[in-house]
Amino acid sequence: MANEVEDTMKRIQSHKGVVGTIVVNSEGIPIKSTLDNTTTVQYAGLISSLSDKARSVVRDLDPSNDLTFLRIRSKKHEIMVAPDKEFILIVVQNPTD
Amino acid sequence: MSDRRAELERKKAKLQALREEKDRRRREKELKDVEEAANRTILGGGGDRKELDEMLSSLGVAPVSDVLSSISSANSLTPEHSMNHTPDTSLQPHSLPNNVLASKKRLPSLTVNAVQTTNIPPKEVVLYTKQTQTNTTGGHERDGYMEDWWRPRKAHATDYYDEYNLNPGLEWEDEFTGEEDEGSLPHMGGYGSKLPPGILPHGLPQVKEVQPAQTQLEQEQNKQEVKEVKELSEEQKQMIILSEEFQHFMDRAGRVMERAICEAVDIYTDYSGGPGEDGQDEKSHQRLALNRCFYDERWSRNRVVTSLDWSTQFPELLLASYNHNEESPNEPDGVVLVWNTKFKKSTPEYVFHCQSGVLCTTFARFHPNLILGGTYSGQIVLWDNRVQKRTPIQRTPLSASAHTHPVYCMSVVGSQNAHNLISVSTDGRMCSWSLDMLGQPQEILDLHRMQSKPVAVTCLDFPHSDINNFVVGSEEGSAYSACRHGAKAGISETYDGHQGPVMGVSVNGVQGGIDFSHMFLTASIDWTVKLWSLKDSKPLYSFEDNGDYVLDVKWSPAHPAMFAAVDGSGRLDLWNLNQDTEVPSAGVVVEGGPALNKVSWTPSGLHVTVGDNQGKIWVYDVAENFAHPRHDEWNKFLYTTQELRNNQVDDELEKLNYSVSSTALSSISSVPPMR
Repeated sequence: MANEVEDTMKRIQSHKGVVGTIVVNSEGIPIKSTLDNTTTVQYAGLISSLSDKARSVVRDLDPSNDLTFLRIRSKKHEIMVAPDKEFILIVVQNPTD
Repeated sequence: MSDRRAELERKKAKLQALREEKDRRRREKELKDVEEAANRTILGGGGDRKELDEMLSSLGVAPVSDVLSSISSANSLTPEHSMNHTPDTSLQPHSLPNNVLASKKRLPSLTVNAVQTTNIPPKEVVLYTKQTQTNTTGGHERDGYMEDWWRPRKAHATDYYDEYNLNPGLEWEDEFTGEEDEGSLPHMGGYGSKLPPGILPHGLPQVKEVQPAQTQLEQEQNKQEVKEVKELSEEQKQMIILSEEFQHFMDRAGRVMERAICEAVDIYTDYSGGPGEDGQDEKSHQRLALNRCFYDERWSRNRVVTSLDWSTQFPELLLASYNHNEESPNEPDGVVLVWNTKFKKSTPEYVFHCQSGVLCTTFARFHPNLILGGTYSGQIVLWDNRVQKRTPIQRTPLSASAHTHPVYCMSVVGSQNAHNLISVSTDGRMCSWSLDMLGQPQEILDLHRMQSKPVAVTCLDFPHSDINNFVVGSEEGSAYSACRHGAKAGISETYDGHQGPVMGVSVNGVQGGIDFSHMFLTASIDWTVKLWSLKDSKPLYSFEDNGDYVLDVKWSPAHPAMFAAVDGSGRLDLWNLNQDTEVPSAGVVVEGGPALNKVSWTPSGLHVTVGDNQGKIWVYDVAENFAHPRHDEWNKFLYTTQELRNNQVDDELEKLNYSVSSTALSSISSVPPMR
């Protein structure tokens, strides 16, 4: 089973343009990452709080709603966040060339 | 001046007395409230006043209602505490007389106000007592202070302030004090009051100053938490990774993420500058253009694609089964992959496998989650994509009551409420199964040719929405029509014509003005594709353009006269019989020229997929104007088939004539030597 997690990570990482993949738990602690430690911690802390905020926004607008995906496009990167109850999957990629 | 001062002092004293009186009353009230609350909590809620009364009377105390009324009457005696009413009760109609009473008492309050105008300093004293709790000042915080200053008082002595609501005069007094506070404070310094000027601004913000301090603390705590958070040992991480929750999450999130990554749509496309993409136009001119290729290094390499199927619920899902990989005997023999044509991700949506090679697979048409497979061992296996399991969740037994030979073809027929899985093995046994009960077939039918010889079935097709009649192709090179039920269940008609095993059979299933469901095609190892009518035991036409085994053939689901055929040299041909019957209308040789084992149309008829013997599935786009029939195609096709039939008759006549003449010639030529 752990193999499948590895496989998924590897598959995502092997996509063209993907810079890094991070899995973070609900408290913002990185569990798995393909980036170096400092970047991982930085991304984990910032993105998890952003995703919490985004979720609360969505829920405040409509209590029956929930956040499912978060995409942040910037000039240099695109950060994709798949939040869940317990974990958050973060993928950083270079925008399509 | 001294007179005025004396007067001021007197009034100050008077006000002080009033204030003390107020405070006293308030304290009393609070005490009473507390007592009452205590009583209520002891009694478990104020709902049972009766019980309370009983209890009180038993202790020799007057009932609650009496006490309450006495309180209210006592209040009404004093001018300031006129009514013991909450705003809610004052809104009720029965309290109107009380309001009248209250309005009468406005006059005395007005006189008090007149005094108040000069009475600025005493308020300072009050403020000063409050100042002791505060630390800093700020002009903006005054408003906040006023709000905060109001709240606790209101909360503690609600009844007291509610009187003001009833009594506009008193209310105005309060408002006045509020305004006076704000307006007079800066003025106070100039007035030369006893207070040093620096203290005045001090008094204003109480709570405001404390709150930011708290939030800062909290923030610091949060930061500390985040910093602590970093620490998570490898073991803990491993524990989380191995937890089922995490597995589930990764499965879901990974799927979504892959789709998101592969979505290569550039939303920042700028059409105002630069030339557009020219390559697109060229492509659209082709009748058959490669769209994509599905291949998975681990699961499909070196495996022959044995069947293809499309989901009815999700038309973008393509199901493909693969046979064993000779190079890796340790991997499972049979693999079934679900591919998604909607997203550009290159990995399969689902992976399933089983111990025996899977020769055919199909979605369980009315159960979107179930996938069925027919195996080399003869077992029918069932996978479920809701389960985190790649191996079958159910399989039929290997017994004489079911299949004991490879199952090369199966099909789900029927309706939502009554459907069966029909599977046929190469020993000619046809089983129909209920998906709820795979332990035993519901029905068994052995397909025999001439009563004794079993038919080695390699392929099967049901006409559109028919559940009884079907057509099968066999290894001996014949095609048969058969039916499942009735007096003549089994093989009903034989169609001989091929010189080699029949690898593919397809019944025309296009709905339209004219029904062509009696037309079917067979593809054979003998390099030909033959067109048949169920009414004729001789082929209507034989397509002999291929130079290799023709391994599969399929009618288009949209165009009545179009079919696709694939052969062992990598050729994919599209035939439009209304355009040409001699050569294919469109064709392509798949890159690398692998043997193409299976062909399948998407339900829309706009894409053709072919599976080869290396484990690749190629998806080709069919040009829309080519794939979609014009409204006269049905009539044209009728005409075409008629023509083919006439040609066939002509040919036969010619042949007959030729044979007659040749026999005549031979008889003639043979005569002289005889002599």
